[in-house]
Amino acid sequence: MTTTHTQSLPPGPRRHRFRVSRRMLPYLLSLPALLTCIGILIPFLTAVAYSLQRYRLSQPWARQWNWGQNYLNFLSDPAFWNTLKVSVTYALVTVVVELLLGLGIALLLQRRSRLNNFVSIMLLMPLMTAPALAALMWKLMTNPGFGILSYLAGLIGLGDFRWASDPQTAMLTVVIVDVWVYTPFIMILLLAGLRSLPQQPFEAAALDGVPRLFVFWRITLPMLTPFLLTATLFRVIESIQQFDIIYAMTQGGPGDRLTVFQVEAYLNFFQSTNVGRSAALLMILWAITYALSNVFIKNWLRLRERSRGNA
Amino acid sequence: MYEKEKGLVDAFMRGQMSRRGLIRGLGALGVSTATAGVLVNLAATRALAADFDWKKHAGTTVKLLLNKHPYTDAMIANLENFKELTGMDVQYDVFPEDVYFDKVTAALSSGSTEYDAFMTGAYMTWTYGPAGWAEDLNQWIHDPEKTNPLYAWEDMLPGVRKSCAWNGVPGGALGSDDAKQWCIPWGYEQNNLTYNKRVFDANGLSVPTDLDGLVETAARAKAAMGSGYGVGVRGSRSWATIHPGFLSGYASFDQKDLTVGADGKLAAAMNTDVSKEFHRKWVQMIQDSGAPDWSTHTWYQVGTDLGAGKSAMIFDADILGYFMNGPGNAEAGNLAFAPFKANPAAAAPTPNIWIWSLAMSSFSTRKDAAWHFLQWASGPEHGLFGATAMDFVNPVRASVWADGAFRDKLSKSYSGYVEMHDVSAPGASIKFTPQPLFFDLTTEWAATLQKMVAREVPVDEGLDRLAESVNGQLKEAGLG
Amino acid sequence: MHATPTIERILRGTAIALVCLFFMFPIAWIMLMSIQTNETILRVPPSVVFAPTFENYQALITGKLETAAGTLEINFMRNLWNSLLLSTSSVALGLVLGVPAAYAFARLKFRGSEDIAFTLLSFRFAPPLLVLLPLTIYFQQLGLANTYGGLIWVYQLIVLPLILWIVRGYFEDIPADIEYAYRIAGHGFWATFRRIALPLAGPGIAAAGLLAFIFAWNNFVFALVLASADKQPVTVGALAFVTASGIQYGQVAAGIVLSIAPTFALALYAQRYLVEGLSLGAVKG
Repeated sequence: MTTTHTQSLPPGPRRHRFRVSRRMLPYLLSLPALLTCIGILIPFLTAVAYSLQRYRLSQPWARQWNWGQNYLNFLSDPAFWNTLKVSVTYALVTVVVELLLGLGIALLLQRRSRLNNFVSIMLLMPLMTAPALAALMWKLMTNPGFGILSYLAGLIGLGDFRWASDPQTAMLTVVIVDVWVYTPFIMILLLAGLRSLPQQPFEAAALDGVPRLFVFWRITLPMLTPFLLTATLFRVIESIQQFDIIYAMTQGGPGDRLTVFQVEAYLNFFQSTNVGRSAALLMILWAITYALSNVFIKNWLRLRERSRGNA
Repeated sequence: MYEKEKGLVDAFMRGQMSRRGLIRGLGALGVSTATAGVLVNLAATRALAADFDWKKHAGTTVKLLLNKHPYTDAMIANLENFKELTGMDVQYDVFPEDVYFDKVTAALSSGSTEYDAFMTGAYMTWTYGPAGWAEDLNQWIHDPEKTNPLYAWEDMLPGVRKSCAWNGVPGGALGSDDAKQWCIPWGYEQNNLTYNKRVFDANGLSVPTDLDGLVETAARAKAAMGSGYGVGVRGSRSWATIHPGFLSGYASFDQKDLTVGADGKLAAAMNTDVSKEFHRKWVQMIQDSGAPDWSTHTWYQVGTDLGAGKSAMIFDADILGYFMNGPGNAEAGNLAFAPFKANPAAAAPTPNIWIWSLAMSSFSTRKDAAWHFLQWASGPEHGLFGATAMDFVNPVRASVWADGAFRDKLSKSYSGYVEMHDVSAPGASIKFTPQPLFFDLTTEWAATLQKMVAREVPVDEGLDRLAESVNGQLKEAGLG
Repeated sequence: MHATPTIERILRGTAIALVCLFFMFPIAWIMLMSIQTNETILRVPPSVVFAPTFENYQALITGKLETAAGTLEINFMRNLWNSLLLSTSSVALGLVLGVPAAYAFARLKFRGSEDIAFTLLSFRFAPPLLVLLPLTIYFQQLGLANTYGGLIWVYQLIVLPLILWIVRGYFEDIPADIEYAYRIAGHGFWATFRRIALPLAGPGIAAAGLLAFIFAWNNFVFALVLASADKQPVTVGALAFVTASGIQYGQVAAGIVLSIAPTFALALYAQRYLVEGLSLGAVKG
C-alpha cells in the first residue's frame, strides 16, 4: 500500500538522516490517539469477561465462570426476545420515518434561496438539543395535566390519548421524539447530497421535457442512493442503541414495551445488579452494531471517493 | 450576635423554661423557627458534649452521598452545630432522586473510598449488605466507647429499626436476633390516605375504610370532579410502584410476595386466589378512576397532582401528602389524612414503609469518624430539631413523637396526621421478603401491573406468568 | 424550473410551514414556559396570554430556588460551567491527539493504517454502557474517579473518532503537490505540517471540532455514571428540579433553555462548518 498510493508524501530532502524515524513517523503521530483508545479497550475486554460469568453484585459468593450460559439463557428468555424485537422495531421505524421525512424536506429546500437556507438552519435546532433534554421537553408537553399536546389532542377529539403512558402509543411517542431530534441530521446530509449532484443530467432531462416524477425516480434517486445509504446506516447504528430518550421518558415501560438493549442493560446493572446478564446483553448489541458499522464505513469510504472525484 | 437569644436558650437548658416558651420567646425576638431550632440545638449540642468525647476525631473530614430531599436540607441547616461539636468537617454530594441510587451503585460497586456514609432505603441494603458495601452498624451502636450514652438506640420505633436489620439469609426475617444493622433509620413514610377535604366535603364523600370503599369513592370522586381523577397511586415500571399503597393494601389481606420453604428455598406467592382478587380490584380502580398517565407516575406526579387539585386522594406515602399541604400548592391547607386498612377484616392498618436511612460505606477509611456523624444525624437532638423547625418528618424516634411542640405543629396544619400516625405505627414495617432479587421481582411485578391495567393480559393469567417467571429467576440464582 | 405553477408554490409553502411548525414548536413552547410561573403553566386550558416573568432565570442564575419548603440551593450555574469545561477541554484534547493521527492516516499510508483507522472509527459505534460500566472500577483504581481529567479522557470516546475521520478526509483532499513543493524548498516535515497542511485543512478541523463539541455537550450518561455531583453537566443538572416538595415546571423549562442556548448559538454562528461536519466530511456542503 505504501508504494501504490499516489498521495503518499514524497521523501523529504534530508531523507537519509530520517530513514528510521520516517518509518516510525506515522506510528508516532497516531500513537497518542491510539493509546487513548486502547485505554478504552481494556474495560471492553473486562465486559467480555463479565458476560461469561454468573455475576450478581448482591450475591458475590456465587460469582463464577459460566462461560456461554448467559447467552444460552437468552434463547429461552422471553424478555430477551422482547428486547431484541423492541430494539429492532424502534430502529426500523425511526429510520424509515426519518428517511422519508428527511428526504421530503431536503427536496423542498433543495433550491438555494435565502428562505430555504434560513429554514434549513432553523431545522438544525432540534439536532442541537441534547436527547435527554428533548425527552424532558416532550414529557412536559405531553403531561395530561397541563401539556399543550395533550390539550390539543383533546381539542381534536383525542381526549383519551395518553402518549407515552399507554402501551398502545408509547412506541409512537418515543418515535416522535426521536424523529424530532434526528430527522434534521438526515435532512442536512441529503440536502448536501442533492446540492452536490452534477447538473447536466437534470438540464438534459428538462430540455427533453421528461416528466419530473420520472426524473426523480430515474435520475435523482439513483444518484442520491449512496447518501441515503450512509444516512440510513449511521442512524440505524445509533437508533438501535437508543438510551437517553427512552430512559428519560418511560424507563422502558409501560409493561415491557420499550425495554431496548441499553435501557434493559442499564436497569440490569444498576437495579438488579445482575452484571453478567447486563454485559451479555451489551455484547450482543455490540455484535449487531459492529457488523452494521463495517458496512457503514465501507459505504462511507466509497461515498467519499465519489465526492472527491466530483470536486 | 445572638446574645439575648443565647440567654433564653441557656435558661431553657437549665430547665427554667419550657421548649414552647422558649420558641415563643425567640419568636418575639424576631428569630425564625429554623434559626431558633438551630440555636436550641446549639445549646443541646453543648449539653451532649458533656458526657462523651465528641472531639475525638477533630480535624477529620467525612464525605457523604446524599439524595436531594427535605431530610437532607434539615441536616445541612444544622450542620454547623455538628462541626462545632466535633471539630470535624463534613463534605457532601447531593444528587436528584432520579439518578441517586444509580449513583450509589456506581460508587459502591467500584469500591470508591470517596464517600464515608450515604443515604439509602432498607431495600437497597439487601444488595449492599451481602455485596460487602455496607457495614453492620451493630459494631458501633453497642460499643459504649464509640457511642454517646445519650444516643438512646432503643428510642427508635421498633418496627422501623428492625426493618433496617437483616441477617443476610434470603428470606430471613427482618430484625431477627442474628440480624445485622445495615443502616440506621433517619426518617420514614407510612402509606395511608391523604384526601382533598374540599373536594370530599363539596361532594358529600366520606373517607373510605376498606378497599371496596376506596374503589367506589374514587369512582364517585372522579365523576364529581369533572376534569380530575379519583385516586393517585404510582405506576411507573419500577419497584417504587409496588412498595407504597399497593403493597400496604396487599399485606392487609395477609398476602406475601414470596414464601420461604422449610428448606430455605423461596417461591413466588403472588398468584393465590386472594391475591388475584386484590389485583383485580386494584387494577379496576386504576382503570376506572386512576390517573390517565398512571403508568409513568412516580411519587412526585402522584404528589403534584394531589397538590394541584387534580386528584381527590392518594393512597401513598403520608409525607407526600404532608408536603403537598404546604405553601406553594393550590390545595395547601385543604388536605387531610386518614389511616387506611384495605382488608375490612383486619384489626388495624399494616402499612408497608419506606425508610430513608443512613449507612456506612465499607470502603470508608474513616469509619469511626463517620460513625460520629451518623450518631449525631440520627440522634434525638437533631431529630427533634428537624421535626420541629424543618420538614424532617416522619421522625423515627418515639421521643420526638412524644414532643408536644411537634404534635401541636402537626395538628395545627395537618388535619388528622398525628392520629393517623398513632393508629398505624404499631403495624408499620417492611412487608417484603428480604432477598437479593428484590429489584428483579418488583420491576417485573410493576410491568405486569402495567400490562393488566392496559388490558393486555388478564389478571389471573398475568399473575400466573409472573409467578412462573419469578420462580425461574429464583432457581437460576440458586434461591428457589 | 422556471415559472412554477401557483398551486405548487402554495403546496410547497404549506409543506415548509408545517415542517417548521413541527420542528420549532416545542422549542418555542418551552421558551414560553420558561417565562411563566408555575401557576400560569398549570392553568387549564393553556393560554399564551400571561404576564411574563424572569424569576425562573433569576432563580437559576442566583442559585436560590424558592419552594414551598423554603429556599433551596441549586447549582445550575455550576452544571453549565461543567458542561463548558468538559466539552471544551475534550475537544481541545481531541484535536491535539486526533489531527496529527489524521494526518498520518491521510498522508503516510503505513502497515495496518486502514485497520487501525477502522478500529478507531468503530469506537464511535460501540454501545457506551459496555465500556462505562467496567470503567467505574478502573477509574477507582487509577484515581480518575470524580476528576475532570478522567471524564475528559472518556469523552474522547465520542470526540476522537469524529475528529479523526472528518479531518482525515480534509487532509486527503489537499493535493500533496503543495506540500511537496514546500518541502523541496528545504522545509522540514513539521514545518510543512504546521504551515501548509494545518491551515489548508482549517475548515475541516473547525467542522470536526464544532460537531465534537456539540456531541460532548449533549452527552448524558458518561458523567452520570462516572462523576460526582459537583462535576455533572447540564444534561444531568436539569433533572435536579424534581424535589420532594414538588416540581417547579417553569424552572425546568428555564433550565432546558439555558442548556440548549450555547449549542444553538454555536450552530447559528458556524452553520457552514456544522453542515460539513454532520456529513462526517463526506459531502462538501
